[in-house]
Amino acid sequence: MLVRVLSISIGSTLLRGTCNHISSFTVKRLKSQASNMDGVKGLLIDISGVLKDGDVVIDGSVAAIKKLQSANFPFRLVTNETLKPRKTILSTLSMLGYNIDEKILFSPVPATVEILKRENLRPHLLVHPRMIPEFEGVDFNDPNCVVMADAYEHFTFENMNACFRKLMAMENPVFISLGIGKYYMDDDGMALDVGGFAKCLEYATGVSPRVVGKPSRDYFLAAVNDMNLKCDQVVMIGDDVLHDVGGAQAAGLKGALVRTGKFTKRDENHPTVKPDLIVNNLAHAVELLFGTSPS
Amino acid sequence: MKKVEAVLIDLSGTLHIENTATPNAVEALKRLRASRVKIKFVTNTTKESKTVLYQRLKKLGFDISQEEIFTSLSAANDLIKKDQLKPMLIVDDAALEDFSDVSKFDGKPDSVVVGLAPEKFNRPVLNEALRLLLSGGKLVAIHQGRYYKTSSGLSLGPGPFVKLLEYAAGVEAVTVGKPNVEFFKAALEDLGVADPTTAFMIGDDVRDDIDGAQRLGLKGCLVQTGKYRSGDETKISPPPDLVLGDFSNAVDQILSHIGQS
Repeated sequence: MLVRVLSISIGSTLLRGTCNHISSFTVKRLKSQASNMDGVKGLLIDISGVLKDGDVVIDGSVAAIKKLQSANFPFRLVTNETLKPRKTILSTLSMLGYNIDEKILFSPVPATVEILKRENLRPHLLVHPRMIPEFEGVDFNDPNCVVMADAYEHFTFENMNACFRKLMAMENPVFISLGIGKYYMDDDGMALDVGGFAKCLEYATGVSPRVVGKPSRDYFLAAVNDMNLKCDQVVMIGDDVLHDVGGAQAAGLKGALVRTGKFTKRDENHPTVKPDLIVNNLAHAVELLFGTSPS
Repeated sequence: MKKVEAVLIDLSGTLHIENTATPNAVEALKRLRASRVKIKFVTNTTKESKTVLYQRLKKLGFDISQEEIFTSLSAANDLIKKDQLKPMLIVDDAALEDFSDVSKFDGKPDSVVVGLAPEKFNRPVLNEALRLLLSGGKLVAIHQGRYYKTSSGLSLGPGPFVKLLEYAAGVEAVTVGKPNVEFFKAALEDLGVADPTTAFMIGDDVRDDIDGAQRLGLKGCLVQTGKYRSGDETKISPPPDLVLGDFSNAVDQILSHIGQS
């Protein structure tokens, strides 16, 4: 009995890790899911937990991305990262063996810039200063909206109060928050994410934040539009069942959950989100897409 | 209306804005005192201790005694003692004096008390508060005012930062100042007034001053000074009993009630 438990435990570790060893049950399940890739013309792919865990590459994902690239199959990388400029994200990916064109990297900042330009919005920014160059080409004169992201040590009273006063002075105030997370694990313990600061301003001004970033609909739509595709032609592949999969489905996309990154077994039976596909990792999602059976 | 027994008066935005009295406020307070009605100054101005508030009002020429000031700091102090809390105090240094008997304790804090402390509303302090709350700490709000008026414009009050911590940590704060009806009740009890319907509340904050007081049964009198913004009177239901230009106008209106009764 002890031996059996042990072997299951090893098996599941392999499934979450290298995933070249798949149980016959999983193969059947993948084959039965293959039809869910019918009509799919593009992919949205999360970075953290799908391409890499921290600075560690996830097995098979480098080859999977190469396969998409050599087939000229449209995809966009989507992340909620707002503390690292795109160049930094790209250099980390490059170090891990990915060859990613900056144009296909979608983070909340470029999505916001697209919205700002499309809707003639001129932002007052509260973001980390190293992110400001990412707003190149945006009109900052006479602000008619406030844009906030995780500003880290720049979340000071003065900076918050400046945003507050701007919103109160606007005739038709628009408030954009890049993500709405509550907190995350930082180097020295739990740290406030942008969500609390957005709620702070919402309470003071009565202006609800428009969220750009997963799980917001606008965010997925911006990435889909960038590929000139329709929502139902696109699958979002991520490790966060609620924000990646649930968010994408609510926006009209298909959602595929990977068993890598922060995935836990209970995500497969989430009370509200039913993924269109559950795959072992990105490599298998791509194999299903191209109709080749898993090895 | 019944005989007018008491008038509760807000300070910042109603009697004065920072270091300037509102128009004719000093004279108006004298007129009100001459009517022998009982008076209490009720304030959510948590940034400063009673002594600081008293000295400022004295300097502006108001006839006032320190015992007449009833603040949300006093109410918070009472709660900390009653619940035997070990508080992390996010209050202005000037207000710490009113907490001197509860700010020294052994071991780690088990609660977060949020007042108005602009210089402490920053990420490192708020992160410390978050961690305390995530490990089961209690959140106490001295009040939940959204914003207040300063000489440089409107500024964020403590309420928004209470909401920040509530959302991030998934907790709900206990609020001790205005608009909590217990606060108005305690102020009237101090005056020996048992029937709230015999009292007026004059203030510039439609939610915290007027709505809170009216819920207890006081007559609410909104003044259009301080943080008042056009349309505020429509933000609560039922609307304010009275809406007047400033404190002086409010006093005249109340004196006419007293004259009629």
